[in-house]
Amino acid sequence: MSTAQTVGDIRDAVAAVNDPEFPGVTIEDLGILRDVRVGADGTVVDLVPTFLGCPALGVIADDVAAAARAAGARAVSVRFVNDPPWSPDLITPAGRRLLAEEFTVAVTGPAFVTCPLCGSVTVEERSPFGPTACRAIAYCESCRNPLEVMRG
Amino acid sequence: MGGWVRYHTNERLFATTVKKRHVMRSWAALEDFEAFLDAGGIVEPVDDMPEEYRDEVFRFIEMHANSELMGGLTERDFIPKAPGMQRKLGTLAKTQDEIGHAHLLYMVAADLGIKTRDQMLEDLYEGRSRFHNVFHYRVHTWADQVAIAYMIDAAALTTQQAVFKDCSYGPYRRVLRRIVAEEGFHMRQGEEMLLRMADGTPRQHAMFQEALDRWWQPAMHFFGPPSSSRDVLLRWHIKSATNEELRDRYVQKFVPQLLDYGFTIPDPDLRYDEPRGRWVIGDIDWTALKQTQLNTGPDSERRIATARHGWDGARWVREALDASAARLESRVA
Repeated sequence: MSTAQTVGDIRDAVAAVNDPEFPGVTIEDLGILRDVRVGADGTVVDLVPTFLGCPALGVIADDVAAAARAAGARAVSVRFVNDPPWSPDLITPAGRRLLAEEFTVAVTGPAFVTCPLCGSVTVEERSPFGPTACRAIAYCESCRNPLEVMRG
Repeated sequence: MGGWVRYHTNERLFATTVKKRHVMRSWAALEDFEAFLDAGGIVEPVDDMPEEYRDEVFRFIEMHANSELMGGLTERDFIPKAPGMQRKLGTLAKTQDEIGHAHLLYMVAADLGIKTRDQMLEDLYEGRSRFHNVFHYRVHTWADQVAIAYMIDAAALTTQQAVFKDCSYGPYRRVLRRIVAEEGFHMRQGEEMLLRMADGTPRQHAMFQEALDRWWQPAMHFFGPPSSSRDVLLRWHIKSATNEELRDRYVQKFVPQLLDYGFTIPDPDLRYDEPRGRWVIGDIDWTALKQTQLNTGPDSERRIATARHGWDGARWVREALDASAARLESRVA
């Protein structure tokens, strides 16, 4: 059954799974999807979590398995890998645009944050943790909007 | 990096609010402002705005922020009691979520310049301001927790969806967009937890029925009494649907779901209007809602005291952060 077409379908279906907290942003956009292998023994999907304690991992794994099965995959196993770990550099340009629409920016290391709303650099981090442990809360002093910042 | 050491020093936050930049909009008369809102205009913090509008937006957001905070604390109470590791992690994550939402909302509210965040918190802990009715009740069992996750979160989502799509105040609308996405995720967990109870043993089924009996009326009250035709929240596009419309939207969706799962809705006058194809609920007794609005609900006193206890207990952390920020500043100077 693993014709080239099925393999492509499974990969596309898995890549299109949305992040549970960012509807419209896929796991591929966020760089969470590392690998999809379809073999004679079944399908293996490798995901790299944005951080190890992420409470949404179970939901993401369920969604990925369901999407793979719907595209014809059998014996699906979803694994979490962490080497090399996730970093904001893995977010695609499309993913960055979509996150900006959700007032969220992702930066690597202690880099300055530019406001995704007004482009200003007068962004001040206000709390190291926001609604989830992977996002800090910041505030743009120019346009006076709260922002969320993913760091890695 | 670094900036967050002064996250709680609201007084300074006030002093540093940027007033220039962006072209500030202003309106000569209230009619012009209302015409702008009717045309779908979005008000930004840097814009001029009628004081009445500022007051209404502020009150609305303050109540929402207080409710997220009190809701987060309700959730927190169940971290040690959650059945199993998976549920414990879920409860932890949801607590973090709600407190994070409160944090974002207090920033938006404080920015309106009416009260600082500390003043809002003081008012909350002194029982001088309001939070949603559903957080004035006792949470007895895990089934109550499931009822909150399934029924109350859904009620909150129904009202928030109606606000964020058309809300005229920009920063609130943006924060709501994020909150709605995350509440949707909670609802999914709530549905899964409800399914477990509904498909469980007769005892589990009965447990949820008891919780449903306790939470149905608070859920109906959540949407508020019928909106007045002069409601400025509607006139100024802060809300986009009346309380009645939202309650009805909720009833049409959740009554059939709960009945499907084999539960009974505790409303003897509930009926299905065949020709209209709609569920119709009985008259609502508003007595309990009025009590919660006065902070004299069944569990108001204990909840407010618990919240204040947490705030007082963390005073030394705030003082240490202040001292550290002051030292850093004196070194820079």
